[in-house]
Amino acid sequence: MMSPLCLSSSMLRLPVVSRSLFPAAITKGGAATTNNARTATATAAASNLVEVFVDGQPVMVEPGTTVLQACEKVGMQIPRFCYHERLSVAGNCRMCLVEIEKVPKPVAACAMPVMKGWNILTNSDKTRKAREGVMEFLLANHPLDCPICDQGGECDLQDQSMQFGSDRSRFTESKRAVEDKNIGPLIKTIMTRCIQCTRCVRFASEIAGVEDLGTTGRGNDLQIGTYVEKMFMSELSGNVIDICPVGALTSKPYAFTARPWETRKTESIDVLDAVGSNIVVSTRGGEVMRILPRLNEDINEEWISDKTRFAYDGLKRQRLTQPMVKNESGQLVPTTWEDVLTRVAGALQGVKGNDVAAVVGGLVDAEALISLKDLLNCLNSDNLCTEEVFPMAGAGSDLRSNYLLNTGIAGIEEADVLLLVGTNPRYEAPLFNARIRKGWLHNELQVALVGKEVDLSYTYDHLGESAKALQEIASGTHPFSQVLAKAKHPVVVVGSSCLQREDGAAIMAAVSTIAQNARVSSGVEETWKVLNVLHRVASQVAALDLGYKPGVDTIRKNPPKVLFLLGADADCITRQDLPKDSFIIYQGHHGDVGAPMADIILPGAAYTEKCSTYVNTEGRAQQTRVAVSPPGMAREDWKIIRAISELVGVTLPYDTLDEVRDRLAEVSPNLVRYDDVEEANYFKQANELSKAVNQAVLTEPLVPPQLTVKDFYMTDPISRASQTMAKCVKAVTEGAQAVDEPAIC
Amino acid sequence: MASTAATRAAAGAAKVVKPILSRDLDEAKRRVRELYRAWYREVPNTVAVFQLDISTRQGRDKVREMFDKNKHITDPRVIDMLVIKGKMELQETIHVWKQKTHIMRYFHESEEPRPTDFLSKFYRGHDP
Amino acid sequence: SAFMYRHVRPARSKPQFQDTYGDYPALFKSLPLCHQLKPKKTKFGPLSDQDRIFTNLYGRHDWRLKGALKRGDWYKTKEIILKGTDWILNEVKISGLRGRGGAGFPTGMKWSFMNRPSDGRPKYLVVNADEGEPGTCKDREIMRHDPHKLIEGCLVAGRAMGARAAYIYIRGEFYNESSNLQVAINEAYEAKLIGKNACGSGYDFDVFVMRGAGAYICGEETALIESLEGKQGKPRLKPPFPADIGVFGCPTTVSNVETVAVAPAICRRGGAWFASFGKERNSGTKLFNISGHVNTPCTVEEEMSIPLRELIDRHAGGVRGGWDNLLGVIPGGSSTPIIPRHVCDDVLMDFDDLVRAETALGTAAVIVMDKSADVIRAIARLVEFYKHESCGQCTPCREGVDWMDKMMWRFVRGEAAVSEIDMIWELSKQIEGHTICALGDGAAWPVQGLVRHFRPVMENRIGQYNKANPPREPEIEMI
Repeated sequence: MMSPLCLSSSMLRLPVVSRSLFPAAITKGGAATTNNARTATATAAASNLVEVFVDGQPVMVEPGTTVLQACEKVGMQIPRFCYHERLSVAGNCRMCLVEIEKVPKPVAACAMPVMKGWNILTNSDKTRKAREGVMEFLLANHPLDCPICDQGGECDLQDQSMQFGSDRSRFTESKRAVEDKNIGPLIKTIMTRCIQCTRCVRFASEIAGVEDLGTTGRGNDLQIGTYVEKMFMSELSGNVIDICPVGALTSKPYAFTARPWETRKTESIDVLDAVGSNIVVSTRGGEVMRILPRLNEDINEEWISDKTRFAYDGLKRQRLTQPMVKNESGQLVPTTWEDVLTRVAGALQGVKGNDVAAVVGGLVDAEALISLKDLLNCLNSDNLCTEEVFPMAGAGSDLRSNYLLNTGIAGIEEADVLLLVGTNPRYEAPLFNARIRKGWLHNELQVALVGKEVDLSYTYDHLGESAKALQEIASGTHPFSQVLAKAKHPVVVVGSSCLQREDGAAIMAAVSTIAQNARVSSGVEETWKVLNVLHRVASQVAALDLGYKPGVDTIRKNPPKVLFLLGADADCITRQDLPKDSFIIYQGHHGDVGAPMADIILPGAAYTEKCSTYVNTEGRAQQTRVAVSPPGMAREDWKIIRAISELVGVTLPYDTLDEVRDRLAEVSPNLVRYDDVEEANYFKQANELSKAVNQAVLTEPLVPPQLTVKDFYMTDPISRASQTMAKCVKAVTEGAQAVDEPAIC
Repeated sequence: MASTAATRAAAGAAKVVKPILSRDLDEAKRRVRELYRAWYREVPNTVAVFQLDISTRQGRDKVREMFDKNKHITDPRVIDMLVIKGKMELQETIHVWKQKTHIMRYFHESEEPRPTDFLSKFYRGHDP
Repeated sequence: SAFMYRHVRPARSKPQFQDTYGDYPALFKSLPLCHQLKPKKTKFGPLSDQDRIFTNLYGRHDWRLKGALKRGDWYKTKEIILKGTDWILNEVKISGLRGRGGAGFPTGMKWSFMNRPSDGRPKYLVVNADEGEPGTCKDREIMRHDPHKLIEGCLVAGRAMGARAAYIYIRGEFYNESSNLQVAINEAYEAKLIGKNACGSGYDFDVFVMRGAGAYICGEETALIESLEGKQGKPRLKPPFPADIGVFGCPTTVSNVETVAVAPAICRRGGAWFASFGKERNSGTKLFNISGHVNTPCTVEEEMSIPLRELIDRHAGGVRGGWDNLLGVIPGGSSTPIIPRHVCDDVLMDFDDLVRAETALGTAAVIVMDKSADVIRAIARLVEFYKHESCGQCTPCREGVDWMDKMMWRFVRGEAAVSEIDMIWELSKQIEGHTICALGDGAAWPVQGLVRHFRPVMENRIGQYNKANPPREPEIEMI
């Protein structure tokens, strides 16, 4: 008798601790203890600690601590496969079985809360026998294909079988084989290797918030999959590659390209969104082989988005590798640095004052920003703009708290009411969205949205599409005002995209008022910040910190004779906006939107090729590191500008990176305080100033530019040049089969 | 250990240094002359054996040039050391332990000094 | 028979069923001693007709409300309910009733776990009617012919634990049984016996029937809860126990149909009456299912601790071909280890005596095999059943049972090495006690029973195979 229930009707096993069920129960479950570790630490008094022993060594732990955590507290690692500290506890791999003195059966360390006086025996005969047994069972049906497995060298099963397994097999029956599944162009599945730990299933349903993965079949036929073959449609899908303890889920673009022990790892920062995820760039022979996440509890925990992880092949395509000059027939022809810099210098010397202007794009680092600003200032021009608009009416960018994500990414976990305005954080800042989801799942965070209705992977109250709803909330006539008023830790997040509109200042003013009202009514302490701006590009905060003007309106109004585009690829300014004889210099790393209209092209370095500073949307300064050298004749951006300055005759006073950073510190010290968030807290003043804004909101709905997952993959010059990202877009629109490639092995 | 300490103590006690080979400058100069003559005689063989695209004259000029490069040295110990090195080179040349490129490296123009100013470094494209 | 003992392993020192709630003999010491003071009983069974609880076991009478009332169901239920939680629990504790679903945990204690101060969550009684163990057919008889006993039991048990409602999770294959049960529930609602103000006692109690979809694992209490919630029927980790977080996140007790159905009779006739049957700590009457190579397979209500031989001879017409033709008996449903004839001679059918015989009472489903049975094949078929019914959640069960299944079928043919008998014993030990639920244990025990008692048979089979299939001679003369 087959079981229809097990096989089809319920694809996914929800975590035991489910939001919809019983919140009070959460604190009792072992699963939630890990998630609420932060709060638990704060509240636990020393008096209610319980004493347990690990191999006879006493340790005091909080009640509800699992055996595994207690062991970790004394530095004893328990082997595990299914347990992952950021996921709910499944307890199904049984690798973590340990003996407890005077308890008849070995217990699963990952799930069992300790009891007073327990002596946990982590290396007793019984414990070792249990581990050996489980290891033998896991290896029984696991293929012996380590030599051709991409997980080789970083495989939990490989490592632990060396430590705990037997040196020979007793398994003489035939091995199980499982059909591979096509779950999209990013993740390669070799399901025969799967050990059914269900980490990926739990990641998908808990962190990513998509119920795409599940288990089908039962017993020895249990399989992980999507039931009906489809793409694993999540912006965080790549993380299942990292959490998979075996080689069942590996990276498709990385397949068979490198081994972990032959790559060089460079700790760096991602710049493809404004979150500034911490990454490790793996390189081999001057080529970026892959990008992995790096742990940072304040920003990305241990996840990264798919764009961050897979857009690296864009670094090898469409690159500007040599300086170019437009010849008489309008063709861009390669030339030398000497030639091109002389021409640039000539052009800059021929104009004066505000006849020269600059526009900077979204991927520019702080060093290049300060160099360019200093150069133009030396030429008596202050026409420096960013492509992104930020309303300057009211406080504008004068008060730093006005344009930062003040609450912080990690701070969202403590919030209880969140109002999103005109943003789709799921695609604009996937890891920020993952935090919101975490708060929603574990901390009863209530979310509301003003703007176009989008799928955020959690439920929210949709308060209206247009900014009218905002004004109602601000004036207190909207029912949601009451909810905000009752909130203990309210947060308001406004998306930078809706500030691009003509009524941006009015929206900002309304949001500022809402935030200030909520803050006053909540009676929360001064350190809690309510108002947040969620940026979409990595350079914006640093540019505003350095005094760039947001938006290119001034350039449209006063077209300059010479326009310097520094990585400006958002198509804000076109030839049509400028006089016919104006001279355009483009400096950047990709031949994208900005380069074709330029008279001169200066090839710059991408974020993996330079040591540079970026400030994320929270205002946190971080630095990228040189993983590979810039291709061809490309140079680091600030050096190009510094070289120009010498030829123009206004030599900038810095020759080395340290000197540039000294200059950065002079202008804005927070830019070189790496990994630190500079506090900014002038909401009241900003709100006062915003009252002067005399602008009506428009009735058009607030529509963020990235509505669905297909808008997510290609947003900047690097990801637009990436074939992998192009495949993703194709797979999303036409189905995973459309980009199916014949299996190599 | 002990011997090192002893040497150090000896060096501290007296400024008299132990000669390497020559007791005075004259003896050192003699050794230089001997080495020069040996090289001078060897150059034609070298040109032939290594099939060098230079004349014997050019080879001898190079030998002279290299000796002249060190003519300011007056310390017999240094001279001895250079002579020993010169003999090693000579031996390697005679036994054809060297290859053609190694010989031609004597004629290689010395490398350009690395640029120090920002702009030149920029054009060369390497980091400081 | 000394020959038979040659390969017997050292006896296990612990009882086979380690209960999830801890060490039950220790807990027993706190029970009232009244039934222990009475003179020691030495003869058990047969049960007299007036002591039978299930008086319509064979469906000879009307199963509907009218017939049930005639048989004494729903008699003074209101009074029982009005006596309140403590009284009912006390009677059940005095009766010494132990769970009839297999593990045999003291019912009174289990129900009393629900009597903690309420935190606002409703409590639920879940009745496990997912009777899928091969050989077991007791609950279906109750639901088919005596559904009102179960419904009344739900009300009494529900009152004892302060439950708001009972969910009866019935095996999907039991179509007629669930239909009868639903009819009976409807009758009970109409007669105001359950629902708002049940029996006029002022107590509100609902009973729902939920049909399963045919997975054996859903008979495990936490898997049953998962399935009841609409998820895949896969056992949960314990702790938290269902008494803390059960169905829909609320305190829940899962009890077997038989356990629940005898509760009203205990309350009506007194716990002491129930405790007067059977040995100490194994009291009561019990439904026995006798199947296999007997002359008249049947389900019968008998006194606990009745000797196995008497049970078979009296109710099942004896073993086919006489007692001497008996090969072995699986005494408690498919998951309990088999016992050979010489053990069957004098073993008593109760929890403790069967544990002494290195097996278990389980569900008291006696599977009898005479000498015509191929015992290796029989056990192989059972392992195949467990392989098919394993949920696949945890490693030892998923991988190990499949491995054992493949080996067992080789043993059936004899295509194995003698050393592999030790290996399968080891594998079964690697599964046992290392899994989330008891299915892994249930799959391991039949194999252990086979190796423990029938090792010579297995060795014989291997020898025969090797004789019939000698190793191939090398085809080329090696120089």
